[in-house]
This record gives sequence, C-alpha cells and structure tokens, in this order.
Amino acid sequence: MSDELEKLYQSTYTAVVRFLYRKVWDAERAEDLAQEVFVRALAHRPDKPRAWVFAVAANLARDEARAAVRRKRHLTLLKGDPIAQPTISPSADDSVEHEEKMASVHEALSTLTPRDREILLLWDAGLSYPEIAAQTGLAVGAVGTTLARARRRLVDAHDRQQNRTRLGDNAAHS
Amino acid sequence: MPHIPEDELHAYLDQGLSRSQAVEIESHMAGCSSCRATRDAIAALRDHTTALLATLSPPRRLPPPFDTLREQAADRVSTRRRKMRLGTWAASLVAAVGLGWTASSLIGPGRTASVAAHQTNAAPQVAAPRPAVSLAGADTGGPRLAVDRTPKATPVRLESTSRPPAARRALQKAREDSIRAAKLAVLDPAPVLELSPLEERGSDQGGQLEGMWRTMSWDGAQDETGRSVPHIDGLPVLRVQVQATDQSRRPLMVVAQQLADGQVIQTIEGPAADVSELLSRRGGTSTDGKLGVTVTEATPGIDQAMAMQLGDRMLAITGALPSDSLRAMIRRINAEMRSK
Repeated sequence: MSDELEKLYQSTYTAVVRFLYRKVWDAERAEDLAQEVFVRALAHRPDKPRAWVFAVAANLARDEARAAVRRKRHLTLLKGDPIAQPTISPSADDSVEHEEKMASVHEALSTLTPRDREILLLWDAGLSYPEIAAQTGLAVGAVGTTLARARRRLVDAHDRQQNRTRLGDNAAHS
Repeated sequence: MPHIPEDELHAYLDQGLSRSQAVEIESHMAGCSSCRATRDAIAALRDHTTALLATLSPPRRLPPPFDTLREQAADRVSTRRRKMRLGTWAASLVAAVGLGWTASSLIGPGRTASVAAHQTNAAPQVAAPRPAVSLAGADTGGPRLAVDRTPKATPVRLESTSRPPAARRALQKAREDSIRAAKLAVLDPAPVLELSPLEERGSDQGGQLEGMWRTMSWDGAQDETGRSVPHIDGLPVLRVQVQATDQSRRPLMVVAQQLADGQVIQTIEGPAADVSELLSRRGGTSTDGKLGVTVTEATPGIDQAMAMQLGDRMLAITGALPSDSLRAMIRRINAEMRSK
C-alpha cells in the first residue's frame, strides 16, 4: 500500500503541485499543499489513491481560496496586491517575457466558469474521463462536452487578449 | 451518417470513449474528409490549450523524500488515534465492560474483602470519602482517571497486523501516544470513568475491577437513580458501581455490601437482559474470543446468585449465603425499592 503511494508520489507529485499552483498561484504554497495531500493519503490509505489525491488537492485549494478571501477582508491590501497573481520565479531567464505570457494565460483561464476551469485543470493534470467525472459529479459523457467548451474558451480568451495587447501597442506607437 | 459532433472528437482524442465508440468514429472518418479536418483542428486546439496551460507552471523543484512524508503521516495518525481514542471511550467501555465488569463483579470476593479492610471502618454507608463521585479502589483518594494501557479492543490493536515495519512503527508510536494522551487526561477532573487493562486479566488478579464503569458514592448513586439504589439496609456499602448507559433509562448498578463476618454480597439491578447476561457468565470459565480473555470463577460453588425479574428490569443478589437467605434479602430489597 505504502509502496503504491510512493510510486504515485513519484509519478504525480509534479502534476499535483502544478494543479494546486493554478489554483493558489503561489509556488511554495502549492508545494506545501501537495505534500499535505500525500501525507493525508499516507494516513488515510484511500482505495483509489490517484483520484483521491486530486480530490483532496482540489478541496485544499478551495479552503485556501476561502482563507485568502477572509484575509482580504481583514487586511487593508495595497493596490495591485498579488494575492491572485502568479508569483514568478526570479531565476527564470526570460522572466519578463515569461511573466507576461503567464499573466495573459492566467487572465484567459480566469474567464472560464469555475466548473469548466476545474475540469480543464483536472484533465491537464492527467486524470481520465471517468476520474474527472467521479470527482466533479459530471456524467462521463459530459466531460468531453465540457472540455471542448473549456478549451475553445481558453484559446479564444487568450487570442482576444493578444489582439487587445497588439492593438494597444499599435495605438501607443502611432 | 451525420458528421461527428465536436465534443465527441474531443473525447475521442482524449481517449475518453469506449472502444466500440472509437471504432465507430474511426470508420466514419475513413470516408469523411470534413470530419478528419475537424479532428485535426481539434487536435491543434488541444495542443494549443496544453501549451498555454504549460506556461502556468511553478518552477520545478525536486519533491522532498517520501520518507519525510511518511514520518509526518505517522505523527498525523497518532494524533488522529488520540482524538479517536478520546472520542471512543464509550466504545471501549462497551467492549471492556461486557466481560471485565462481569468477571470482577461476580467472582472477586478476595479483592472486595481487601477493599473492605480499607473501608469498612470508615463511614458505614459511603464508599467514597471525599468527592461526590470517586473511583474504584481509589486508595489514593481524589478524582483520578486511570487509563494505563490500551485495552485489546481498540482500533489500534485491530489494525496492527500485517503491516510493513514502518507502518507498524507508526502504529506502535500511535499507540504510545494515545496512551500518553490518556494519561494527560488524568488531570482533567471531569470524567469519572475508569478503564482498566484487560490484558492484565489473570487468575492472580481475579478480583481486580475490569472494564470501564463508574464507581459512585452512595449519595451520587442515590441522586442518579432517584433514591432507589438496590441495597440491603443496615449493611455497610463498600462500593456502588454503575455501568454507563444512555441517559434515558436507569443504569445497571451493582452495590457491594459487607456482612458482619466480612462476606461481601452484591446486589445487582438493571435491564433484565444485561443482568441475566451478567449472571450467565458466572460459574466456570468463560472465554471471550474477541477480547482474548479467559475468566475463571474464583470460588465456584460458594458464591450463589438469586434473581428476580420485574418487567424489563431484573434484580439479583450474589453472595456466599444459603439460598434461603438470598431469597429473603432479594424480597426485602424488592419491597423497599418498590416502596420508594
């Protein structure tokens, strides 16, 4: 059992961190939460560990988001507080360009409905249709429909944004 | 055949379709260039999405060694056990009471006699000198919760088989932690329950009180039962034991009293099923496979029991007395209890 979890850990830790990162937008926090997920898996020994791990990760991220909202209420935040912004690794070579790209995808992703976004992220984390269906309560047949819509919207939102940026740049240059 | 809907092509490319569905789509596409083009467009859309999402990745760092997580999980398990343990005292009680309490209540004149030596000369009717509610054999006095070892029936024990060494260590640690937690609870004056170790059960300690139950003061017992504690007037009360039950009905009680010659007689009053269960365990040896405990009757043939059923309640008396005496006593107790 433990060995099975260890293998799962080796194979999916990165995916879990990434999945969490796309929800909490803090790399260190995502790692902490991912480790928490696996500690819980060790303590609980679920029957379907892979699906379980992502379900718990989603729950932790949700709790985290609620906590962030609470913090937001209690603290006077500076304008442009990065609470919902991606944190960028300072060691990235092409940091400025990468940062811009990341921000644009992040923004495009935020235009999706929570459900579409969740299913897209679960798919991207490597879950199968039945696993996604089990976790989200969606019918297996509806996963494809949702993914089709989510992909289309993400790409469209991103394209629109790129066009806006280009137009803005052109306007600034002219 | 109409063209394949886009979402089905997504599912097809995501391998989210059954084999037969996939075959159907493939056979259609073989003869439909339009659907093939759509498939290619969707494949490109998928790739584009994946590439976009890939930018939303944190800097890659090596995961911590799995063993550090194992250690954390072991700590977590122990905390959980501790909580569970505190929460499942009642469950332990049920498991432990059934056998241990029965045995100790019915076979132990030796030990009750020794308690008698301590307490007979004290107030004649009050078992506990200081607190309103005291504990079995509380020769140290004062409220105390004695939980020294984990009884055999706890979940910790049940799970401890066939685990790898690390997990076994974790469970061992969990067990130790839970014991430690239980000891910490000693400082808490609120619970008045005693949990004695079932594994200590042995012929040399045949009289030791077992299981988890309350020993109450005379006054406390009277308050709890509406002043109808089963007893024989005029004899010093050594001990009043109450089996914890739900609050809605009168609990099972055992009152130990001492005759002038040092003999201990016990009066039992409670739900008929419980009392007869208790009595049925008397005499000879009874083994409880689940708890792995064997109880041997300490003084076979000497202690006798007499019982009287009143509706769903049963009144019983045990002691090394002629059955006529017991019968007389039980009638008297019954009359007195009814008169109250």
